[in-house]
Amino acid sequence: MSGLRIIQKGFNYSQDGPGNRLVYHLQGCNLRCPWCANPEGLSLEGCLMRGKDPESGRVREKHSCKEYSLEELYQEVMRSRMLFFEGGGVTFTGGEPTMQFAPLKELMERLRDQGIPIAMENNGTHPRLTELLPLIDYLILDFKHPDAEIHQKVTGASNERIRENLEKILNLGRQVALRIPLVHGFNDTPEALAGFLAFFKSNPMDQATLEILPYHEYGRDKWQQCGMEYLIKDGFVSEQQVAAFEGAFREAGIQVIHT
Amino acid sequence: MKVSEAYKAGQIGEKARKLFAQERDLGRLDGWFLARETGYLHREELEKLPEELAAARRLELIIDMLPLTISEHAVFAGTQRDAFARTYALINPAFQVETFCGYCDATAVFDDIEPNEEFTPERIGAVKKYMEDSPYVRKLKEVYGACEDYTGEVAFFIEQVTGHVIPDFRGALREGVKPMIEKLEKRAEQEIDEKKKNNCKAMALTLKSAIKLARRYEKLAREQQKDAEPERQKQLQLLADTLHKVPEQGAGSLYEAIQSFLILWQVMCMEQAPNPYAFSVGNADRIFEPYRAMEQLGRQEASDLFKHFLVFFNVGDRSWAISQNVIISGRDTAGRDLTNEMSYAIMDAYYDMNFPQPILSVKLHKNTPDEIYKYMGKFFFSPGVLTPSLFNDDAVFEVLKKGGVEEGDLPDYSIAGCQEPLIMGKDNGNTTNSWLNLGKILELTLNHGKSLITGKRMGPDTVQGLSKREVLERIREKFYENAEYYVSHMITAANGASEAISREPVPFLSAFMGGMETAVDMRDTEEQGTKYNGSGCLIHGLSVVADAFLAIDRLLAEKPEEAENLLPALENNFEGYEDLQDFLLAAPKFGNNIPEVDQEAAQIAEKIADLVASQKNYLGNPFRPDYSTPSTHLLYGYWTGATPDGRKSREMLNYGVDPLYGEAGQGLGFRILSALKLPYGKFQGGYASHYGIDPKLFTGKTYEERGLQFKTRVLAPTFFNERNKNIAPFYLYVNVTTPEILRKVLENPKKYAPSGVYIMRIHGTFVNFLDLSPAIQQDIIKRLDLNSTRV
Repeated sequence: MSGLRIIQKGFNYSQDGPGNRLVYHLQGCNLRCPWCANPEGLSLEGCLMRGKDPESGRVREKHSCKEYSLEELYQEVMRSRMLFFEGGGVTFTGGEPTMQFAPLKELMERLRDQGIPIAMENNGTHPRLTELLPLIDYLILDFKHPDAEIHQKVTGASNERIRENLEKILNLGRQVALRIPLVHGFNDTPEALAGFLAFFKSNPMDQATLEILPYHEYGRDKWQQCGMEYLIKDGFVSEQQVAAFEGAFREAGIQVIHT
Repeated sequence: MKVSEAYKAGQIGEKARKLFAQERDLGRLDGWFLARETGYLHREELEKLPEELAAARRLELIIDMLPLTISEHAVFAGTQRDAFARTYALINPAFQVETFCGYCDATAVFDDIEPNEEFTPERIGAVKKYMEDSPYVRKLKEVYGACEDYTGEVAFFIEQVTGHVIPDFRGALREGVKPMIEKLEKRAEQEIDEKKKNNCKAMALTLKSAIKLARRYEKLAREQQKDAEPERQKQLQLLADTLHKVPEQGAGSLYEAIQSFLILWQVMCMEQAPNPYAFSVGNADRIFEPYRAMEQLGRQEASDLFKHFLVFFNVGDRSWAISQNVIISGRDTAGRDLTNEMSYAIMDAYYDMNFPQPILSVKLHKNTPDEIYKYMGKFFFSPGVLTPSLFNDDAVFEVLKKGGVEEGDLPDYSIAGCQEPLIMGKDNGNTTNSWLNLGKILELTLNHGKSLITGKRMGPDTVQGLSKREVLERIREKFYENAEYYVSHMITAANGASEAISREPVPFLSAFMGGMETAVDMRDTEEQGTKYNGSGCLIHGLSVVADAFLAIDRLLAEKPEEAENLLPALENNFEGYEDLQDFLLAAPKFGNNIPEVDQEAAQIAEKIADLVASQKNYLGNPFRPDYSTPSTHLLYGYWTGATPDGRKSREMLNYGVDPLYGEAGQGLGFRILSALKLPYGKFQGGYASHYGIDPKLFTGKTYEERGLQFKTRVLAPTFFNERNKNIAPFYLYVNVTTPEILRKVLENPKKYAPSGVYIMRIHGTFVNFLDLSPAIQQDIIKRLDLNSTRV
C-alpha cells in the first residue's frame, strides 16, 4: 500500500489537539471495542456501508474508505494551512492510525519537514509507537481498562503493550493526553478506578492530561449500515459517575481536562 | 420640553411593544391604493405638467389627502404603511414556487387588495386601468413582451428597480430641509436648462410636502391633546412642538432627529408607493450619535427611542416592508473603528424588541472591538432571535475601490436591500435590475437551445453538427458562447426596464441622492444624477455549473462509453439512468477543498463576472456582477432541467456562492477553504453566502464567550485570515439552529415561539419564520445543511 486509506476527513476545533485542526480518520483497527463510534473503520480493507437515501428512498451503498496517495494528502494539508489557526495543524486518528504505520510515518515526516504541527490519537498498542514520538507535537492515547483480562475479553486484545508504551512515554516526560472512554458495565467500577489510579500513581504524570469520555451512541446506526450488530445494551454513565472518576483522578494530582 | 419630562422611565419601551402589537393587528393596507388613486383623480391637472413636476405635484396631493393617525402608543408621528401592499411573495402564505412566472407586472399589485364596500372592484379597476395606460407601464409591457421567450423559463429575468438605495438624510437632519428648499428655488430661478429647472422646482415642492406632512401631524397631535389625560397631553405637546420644528429646521436632540428622519422616510416611500422595497437607513449609529451626544442621553434612553424607530419599519400583519436595512459599526479609511455608544443602544433595541424588520447589519474589520462580538453572541445563540448580517469592511473597501469609488466615500457604503454595498446618498446601483440563470444556460447549451422542461426552443443551437461526445468535450467553450448570447439579450431588456421606470421621476428621493448638486433626477436615463451609477445582475447557479463541468470531465475520462447516455439521462431526469446519476453525484463537488472543482468555480465566477461587467447600462456604466440569489435559487431551479452534476430537474440551484446543499459534506473548514478561492474583487454588486450552524458547536458558558468563539472559529478564518493574500469574503449571514429545532417550532409554535415571532434569516433579510410560506420554510430547513459547517 503506497497511500493511506481514509474513512473521513474534516476540520475540528481544539478537540483532537490544540487550535483548528484538519483531522484524518484512518481505516483499520486491531481492537474490537463494542462501543466504537466508527465501526466502519474496523477492518483494514474497509467495509461496504448500506443506507437509505432519505430523499429518494433508494438504498445506496458506499465503501467505508478511500485510498489517497501520500502526495495527495500532503498537498491537501499544505493548501489547508490557512485554517491552522491558534496552533492548529493535522491530526491523525482512526480507526487506529498506526495500523497503516509505514505510509503514516512517511507522511508525518514530509509534513514535519514543512513545520506542520502534528497530533495523533491512537490506542497505544503499536509495538513501534515510540518511533513516531519525535514526529508528533501532540499525542493522544486511549487507555480503556487497567485490567489485562477484561481488556482482552471486551476489546479483543490485551492491554500489556498499551501499559508498556504508556510507561515509556510517561517516563520520557513527554506530553500525552490520555483518554478514558467511560462505559457502564465495562470500566465504571470501583475496581477499574483503583486500577487506573494505581497505574497513574506509579508513573510520572506531570506532562500528562486526562480526559473522561462518557459513553455515547453516535455510532450506533453505522454498525447496522456495516451489517454488524450493536451489542451494548446500556453503556451510559451518569454525570455523577463521571464527576466521581474525575474527582478521584484530580485528588491523585492528575490534570483532568475537557475538550 | 425634554423627553424625560414627558415620559416615565421604561414607558417608552413599553409603548414600542404595544405599538408593534397594534401594527401586527392590521389586516388591510390601502394607503398605497389611495396614493395611486390620487394620481388618477387629478390626472387632468397632472398630465399637463412636465413629468418631474407632475411627480412632485402628485406627491403633494397625496400628502394633502392621506388619512393620518397617531396611536395612543406612539412616541413619534409617521408611518410607512401607506406605501406598501400585502404582496411580498415569500411571506405570502399563498406563494408557491410553481406559480412563479418570469414576468413582472407593475399592476399585479391591484389584485392584492381584497375588495370591500369602500374599495369596490370598479374603483380598483379604474385605477388599475389608468396605471396600465401610463407611459411607464406601457413601456414595461413592451420590454417584457420582447423578452418573454427568455424570461418565461428564466434563462434570465429583468425588473424595474424601485427602492434599493440609501438616501443621505444627514444634512437635512442637521440643517433642516428649509435651506435645501431655498437653495433649490434659487437655482431654479437661475437655471437655463429647462429640465434641470423643473427638477429643482420639483425637488423643492416635495421637500415642502415633507414640512406639510409634519404640520398635518402636528395639527392632529394638538387636536388629540384636547381630550387626552394630563400625562398624554404632555407627550402630545412634545410631539406637536417637535413636528413644528422638524424636518423644516435642524434637529437639536435625538428625539427630534428620529422624528425628522421618520417624516423624510415616510415621504420617500410614499413617492414610490406601492412597494419600494429595500431602502436602507445606512449607518444608523453614525447618523444618530451626534444627537445622542448633544444632550448626553444615556444608552437606555437612546435605545428606548430607537425601539420606536424600529417599530416604524414593521408594516402591517406580516411586516410587509421587507428588506430595509440598518447598519452599525465599521471603520474609517485609516482603519480606525467607528463603533460608538449609539451602536450598542441600537443593538439593545434590536435584542429587546426582536422584530421581523428592519434587517440589522454589522460592519466588521480586523480591529473591531471584542465587545461587538460578545454582544453578537446574544443574537446568535438565543433561539428565535434575529441575527445580524455580517460585512467585512476591510474587503468591501477594496472591492468598492476597484469599482471606482473614491477613498473618502468608502466608510459611507451601506447595504441596499440584502447585501448589495452602495454609497449612501451617492450611488444608484439598480441592484436588482437583471437576473441570470447559469443553470438554465447550461441546459440550453447541452440541449441545442431547447428547454428540457417544456421542449420549447429558447435560444440558438450552438452545438449543431457536433456528436453527443463532442458536445461534452467542448462544453465550456459552448457554455460561454451561450452565456454571451443570453447576457446580451438580458442587458437590452434590463436597460429597457430602467427606461420604463424613469418615466416615474422621484424628485424627493433625488434631493437626497445627489440631485441638490446635479439637478438631475436619479432615475434619469440620459444624464447621471448620482455620483455613482450602475445596474445589477444577480447571477445564479455558480456551483451547479462548476460541479457539472467536473462531472462531465470525469465521465469522459472514466466512462467514455457512457458519454452518449448523458443527454438522454438528463432528458429523462435520470429515470432509468440511476447508476449514471450516482456516478455523476460522486464526482468532485465545490465546497470540499478539492482543487480542480474549486478552481473551476473560481474561473466561472470570474469569466461570468467579467462578461457582465463588460456590459453597459443606460448611462454607459458597467453592470455589476452580484452572486446573490434571494430565494430565487428555488424559483429558477424549478425552471431548470436536470444537470450533469446529478441534480434532478426542478430541484433548487445552489444559494449565492455556496455549494449546492448536501454537496459539501466535509465540514466548515473545507467549505471555508473552497470559499476563499473565489474572486471576491470581481463581485462589484455583492454576493450571498449562508452558514447554517449547529448551536452545540459552541461550548462557551455565556453568550459573550460563545460570541467570541464564533469570531475565532467562523468569522476570523473567513474574513480576516492573515494567510489569505486575495481579497477576502465580505458578506455572511448565519442561522444558528438545527432542522429538528425548526420542525419543533412549526409543530408547536405556541410552545417554542409564544410571542408568535421566531426570527430566521432567508437570503439577506430576516423574517418571522412563522410568517413564511411553507415552501420557503422547508427551503430554510433543507439549506441549513449542517454537514457543510461541521467543526
